[in-house]
Amino acid sequence: MQEVHGYKLVYLDNAATSQKPASVLKALRDYYEGYNANVHRGVHALSAKATDEYELARKKVADFINSPSDRDVVFTRNASEAINLVAYTWGLTNLKEGDEIVLSVAEHHSNLVPWQLVSQKTGAVLRFVDLTSEETLDLEQLKGLLNERTKLVSTFHVSNVLGCINPIADIVEWAHAVGAKVLVDACQSVPHMAVDVQALGADFLVASSHKMCGPTGMGFLWGKSEILESMPPFLGGGEMIVDVFLDRSTYASPPSRFEAGTPAIGEAIGLGAAVDYLNRIGMDRIHEYEMELSKYLYESLSKIPSVKIYGPPAGSNGERRASLCAFNVEGIHATDLSTFLDQQHGIAVRSGHHCTQPLHRYLGINASARASLYFYNTTDEVDTFINGLKDTIDFFSAFK
Amino acid sequence: MATAAPVMAMAASMSRFFQDGSQAKPWVSTCCFRDLQGGSRSGASRRLSCRASSSWSQGAERSELPEKLQEIVRVFQGVTEPRAKCEQLLHYAAKLKPLAEEQKQPENKVEGCVSKVYIVCEFNEADGRVYFEAESDVMLTKGLAGLLVEGLSGVTVEEVLKVTPDFVHMLGLKQSLTPSRSNGFLNMLKLIQKKTLQVYSNATPTVAGNATVPITSIDPHNDLPHLTPSPGGPQTKKHLIEKKLTEGLTPVQLEVQDVSHEHAGHEGGPRGSPETHFHVKVVSEQFQGRSLLKRHRLVYELLQAELREGSVHALSICTKTPTEVAAQS
Repeated sequence: MQEVHGYKLVYLDNAATSQKPASVLKALRDYYEGYNANVHRGVHALSAKATDEYELARKKVADFINSPSDRDVVFTRNASEAINLVAYTWGLTNLKEGDEIVLSVAEHHSNLVPWQLVSQKTGAVLRFVDLTSEETLDLEQLKGLLNERTKLVSTFHVSNVLGCINPIADIVEWAHAVGAKVLVDACQSVPHMAVDVQALGADFLVASSHKMCGPTGMGFLWGKSEILESMPPFLGGGEMIVDVFLDRSTYASPPSRFEAGTPAIGEAIGLGAAVDYLNRIGMDRIHEYEMELSKYLYESLSKIPSVKIYGPPAGSNGERRASLCAFNVEGIHATDLSTFLDQQHGIAVRSGHHCTQPLHRYLGINASARASLYFYNTTDEVDTFINGLKDTIDFFSAFK
Repeated sequence: MATAAPVMAMAASMSRFFQDGSQAKPWVSTCCFRDLQGGSRSGASRRLSCRASSSWSQGAERSELPEKLQEIVRVFQGVTEPRAKCEQLLHYAAKLKPLAEEQKQPENKVEGCVSKVYIVCEFNEADGRVYFEAESDVMLTKGLAGLLVEGLSGVTVEEVLKVTPDFVHMLGLKQSLTPSRSNGFLNMLKLIQKKTLQVYSNATPTVAGNATVPITSIDPHNDLPHLTPSPGGPQTKKHLIEKKLTEGLTPVQLEVQDVSHEHAGHEGGPRGSPETHFHVKVVSEQFQGRSLLKRHRLVYELLQAELREGSVHALSICTKTPTEVAAQS
């Protein structure tokens, strides 16, 4: 295990990115060492193998989220790119002045800014769902915001700051009833629990590879077949075409239509290996364990006086929260906490606004610290974190 | 004899750095000695000054830091345990007074810092030095700001501008600084230096040194032809230069010559306009043990006002100690 500043590293920043199992690294290495060749283009053996593995990875991801077809999975650079893809293709084609997009005050910047850009270009209006006193999404308000002008509801499955979990299936039902589509930001859910796009009924779903034990530079958009089929190209170039003339081209079917140029082949294969790894453990098992961790983390943190945790309570089995806690300690800046925890205890947590500036403004704070766990963290590590945090609080309190 | 760029040229170079926002080290560019026209005489000595300037710009020499900052460096180097270093840092944080709300303006805010840091700078015309105050919402960052304030308040403009960013490594706080905080430290220093330049440029021409000439300190055995300025009448620049150098360096020999007629058409001055270029020869005990650079710096410091106004374009300076003069003859 790694050492940081002379202490054993305790990595509690998994919401930012996850660590990678050996099998994923091996898959990357095997690709680059064994059959590195461009996909879809050649007929030679290496290219055929690369193509097979690349498309197999796509199938693995599709099965992982119970997609009806692997053609519904588009590989992107990350979830942010996936959302932009929807915004710039489906969004610009289908939205016009006066149409409404429903978001929330707690969205990650990647599920805010693309819609701001679309709104500026099309004249569509952005509407925002507030939080309840428990700091979950105000679902009654959300229902109230839906009307015949609503064309899209785009929100998180699990919040990377509040830890709360949205009832996506219900939101989809309400949205579809007014003729609106739903995009699910599943970055914090797909890595941690079984996600079934058919059961959810969503129209679009995005996630990142690097948060689910896969490599960086890889993510995906899942979309309903008929919707993807209706979407114009995003980026133009090789791979996404059928016939190319000097002045015009015809375009490929999805998913290729949205994958211009040489893809991150090794990384897609790495993501496939990550899916295999997670499946070997079992997503239900992972989710069960993380609920325990979530409850333990929440309760341990709550016991420290002057700590304020954002989001709802964990629930009797930890089922109401993800295994993360964004928090503040009264009178001590989050940056001081995280710096000291790193320097003096080798504990990695994050401080800042976690790509949710509007949420922090809404909560009336400048910054927060966040400990986020994954299935490879233990309750011992939570204990180490809590003890380190207490020591940190003592240190800074002495200087006030 | 060597020629050297006056303080304003250094200031101008620094301003260029800040305006174009380039990341190139400014400390090297400010050290490039400009060659005035008539450069043949500066040949060998220019090479010497450039060598000295590049070692100066390497910047790691502690002797280039102001005394108070050197003291702080010593303190940190004496504290080896990381937690104790942290405590020491917070000690500096505690010394800072809170800023007034109206001081927390965008131009006082440090960019590129994970925390909110404000730095205020004032130029004290009475002693010609700069003073700082700072505030931050993050204690550890406030500690770094406090350290800089403690080390650089009451220091001359030149000394502030001379501080190089790698001085942070000398504190041994590198271990205790996350990359983004290191960045914050660099940006704090950058803002301090930028504001120092600004307040210095904005300050009125009134400078220190309006005291009367201490004639009694002059060695009567030496020939001092131009020393007594007329107190009531209009003072030429030459007189001012003589007066200031006398007060500041108590020279045993001083010669100030207006050589403007030798210089043609420089920026800002028509051909041969008088009192734009001076040749100064100073023999003083105060140069003993000081490098060429430091000697010239002493001279320039004393003549800040004349040079800053821009009417005196350049000085060619000859600095010697009495011992050196004796050795020559």
